Amino acid sequence: MPQYVIGRVGQAALVLWSAFTVSFVLLQALPGDAILIKFLNPELGLGPDQIAEIRASYAADAPFWAQYLHTAANFLTGHFGYSIQAGVPVSDLLLANLPPTLWLATLGFLLAVVLAVSISVASALLPVSWLRSLIQSVPSLFVATPVFWLGILLIQVFSFQFKLIPVIDPGPWEALLLPVLTLAIPISAPLAQILMRNIDDVMTEPFAAVARAKGASHHWVLWRHVAKNALLPTLTIGGILFGELLAGAVVTEAVFGLNGIGGLTQRAVGSQDIAVLQALVVFSALAFVFINLTVDLLYPVFDPRLRTTQGAVA
Amino acid sequence: MLTGAAGWGASARAADTEGTPVKGGTLIYLEQQPHTNLYPPAGGFYPNGGILNQITDKLTYQNPKTLEIEPWIAESWTVNADATEYTFKIRTGVTFSDGTPLDAAAVAKNYDTFGRGNKDLKLPVSEVINNYDRSEVIDPQTVKFSFKKSSPGFLQGTSVIGSGLVSPATLALPYEALGDATKIIGSGPFVVASETLGRELTLKARPDYNWGPAKLEHQGRAYLDAIKYIITSEDSVRIGALLAEQADIIRQIQAYDEKQVEDEGYLIHAPSTRGVNNSVVFRPDNPLVADLRVRRALLHATDTDEIVSTLFSAHYPKATSIIARTALGYVDLSPKLSYDLEKAKALLDEAGWKAGQNGLRQKDGQPLELTAYESLPQPQNKETLQLVAQQWGKVGVKLNVLTADSGSTTLNNLDPAKAPVSPAMVGRADPDVIKSQYYPTNRNVLLQKGGTSDKVQSFVDEKLNTLLEQLASEPDREKRLAIAGDVQNYVVDQAYAIPIFEEPQAFAAAPYVKGVSFEAVGRPSFYDTWLARRR
Repeated sequence: MPQYVIGRVGQAALVLWSAFTVSFVLLQALPGDAILIKFLNPELGLGPDQIAEIRASYAADAPFWAQYLHTAANFLTGHFGYSIQAGVPVSDLLLANLPPTLWLATLGFLLAVVLAVSISVASALLPVSWLRSLIQSVPSLFVATPVFWLGILLIQVFSFQFKLIPVIDPGPWEALLLPVLTLAIPISAPLAQILMRNIDDVMTEPFAAVARAKGASHHWVLWRHVAKNALLPTLTIGGILFGELLAGAVVTEAVFGLNGIGGLTQRAVGSQDIAVLQALVVFSALAFVFINLTVDLLYPVFDPRLRTTQGAVA
Repeated sequence: MLTGAAGWGASARAADTEGTPVKGGTLIYLEQQPHTNLYPPAGGFYPNGGILNQITDKLTYQNPKTLEIEPWIAESWTVNADATEYTFKIRTGVTFSDGTPLDAAAVAKNYDTFGRGNKDLKLPVSEVINNYDRSEVIDPQTVKFSFKKSSPGFLQGTSVIGSGLVSPATLALPYEALGDATKIIGSGPFVVASETLGRELTLKARPDYNWGPAKLEHQGRAYLDAIKYIITSEDSVRIGALLAEQADIIRQIQAYDEKQVEDEGYLIHAPSTRGVNNSVVFRPDNPLVADLRVRRALLHATDTDEIVSTLFSAHYPKATSIIARTALGYVDLSPKLSYDLEKAKALLDEAGWKAGQNGLRQKDGQPLELTAYESLPQPQNKETLQLVAQQWGKVGVKLNVLTADSGSTTLNNLDPAKAPVSPAMVGRADPDVIKSQYYPTNRNVLLQKGGTSDKVQSFVDEKLNTLLEQLASEPDREKRLAIAGDVQNYVVDQAYAIPIFEEPQAFAAAPYVKGVSFEAVGRPSFYDTWLARRR
């Protein structure tokens, strides 16, 4: 077992190093750099000599390898450099933007799961058939809803029309309510579709028929047998949806004026703020590696078949 | 109140002067973009200027109505005949919010930094200070600045946002640390109380503030207790929040939203930025626009009236020169800027560009096809360029309007081959602004050789540069304004620029927000502001 853990951690470190190196090379290959863009910007009206001096002071023209080693050493010691555009340390930017994104994404995902389960259970259990088909068409409607439009609509109705939730200067929970809803609705759609499909599939499986033949009620079969079997593939898809969740978060952050990684990335890309982008790539890789590592290490815990053989190594 | 409405838009009415100021309250200000680096010379960026103007004071005050320079932190000053030496007498008893005195030594340190930059701290030189040599502290309240050459624009340069005075402690910080607003220590009526990066900024009034511009009626502390800046990038959310009484004033409102806001009894403030107008400029290094006849043809093919009436409102006056009517040294060049399709076609014919089969003009098999990149900060810039493209299409010239992120735009805009046409504007209430815009080692919008772009092959206009140098160094005011007139005529005669409209900075405010004033290039000042109805 310790060997397995060491191997996994080693792999994770390799992934992180590759992400750092590849992103470093790609970011260096961009036609401009943050210093150029910041100081060439006519806003400052600097002359060519002054810009050359500034570039020299940032060692922007140092050889590639020197820059690479310098940056790598800094990252290893927890120094992510400065954002040229914002004029603050990158670590301050991450501290200001990571927590809101994590809250938004986590709560948005949880609400999406709740919505998806409610929709699919309702569609399986409702006795009236026209109501059932109405519920079944809800995911299509949700998936077709642009996040941007939905966010504005919710603000217009709940904040401006009925004045229930302030969008400007709200309390910490008020601030999350509408954005979480905005994010959850489109994410819940594919989840609900897969869940509904799985419930239908499992319902037609022989074991469900056997259970019913033994006199089990519709509800009993759904909750005891079908739900368990239908939920697992849904959660797998849920993991894949996480990427979409972050993309949706960019728009939601913009509409609600929230801080977050999305907006930070967008601004950093716009101004080619390499220090910020480099840190964001490494952090995303770290998050990915962490989630996968956790899943891998937990796999034997959840699936009894894997416990005896330590098969997860394969 | 001195900072009256006359200097800027029509719709601010007389609302500012009603009633007796009420003390207290927090002003909720919705900003479109987060501020960037707050090193004072970077104050030109609208969000930066909106903050720096509350927390810093300037050596002098430019009256936004008359554009005269009046005393502020400097009680008085003398300038020698050839404008190479300026001596300022500093007011006593002024302190920065960290307790350090704002005396001659502090002023000298500020200007040494702004005028020469600081290589070790990576602080760049200020755009508004030309030919700076050194400072000399004569006594604790007297400071003298010397210049290598005449620098007649310097006095006005001491009044701009980019010359906001900051504590020596702030100037000791490296450039990369100055994006943190809490580190910017000024002597202004407000002080940064707290900041959430990229989201929110709170300013508190300084209770002991007692050194506002001498000629202002209002003295002592600001009426407001606090100002809260909240970043709200989405236009419709800003406007909705204002109308739903969740905010008091918002920055950046598009011309097409103005009516909705005014119909509800809210006010549009559209102070002019009073510098070089929002224009379309050419890069004659590109052979397609090297021919004066082509540029003149495109100038006459541009229908500014249509652009202003279709896309903008009364707050965006049509340009009648390369600088605004309210700018110093302005001359009216409307006759030279006429819309005349026949003249445009004749000029293109004369230049050898004949209409091809698809209506596109060609010469030696090459089509007359140009490209411009949208400037993200300018109001409805893409729509403006697209309308210009439509108008040029009528004479057989194609203009491609491209949008890119600000990084790529900045880089592509430095290459005359990629961007033969470019949008341009800059605000500053002194004729030096013309030099800033066109001179090769400043903003260099025409892309002459010798500037920041290494892509320029050969284009240089010595005559223009000589005029610009004279403009920045002629100590005699009358002569200097005459040179300003010559430059405007020359740029239009050479059809280097097509002026479109005089750019304001547009705000919308609730009717109970009184006494909002604007400095000479449209940055808001909340020193005089009060809330008639407490929130």
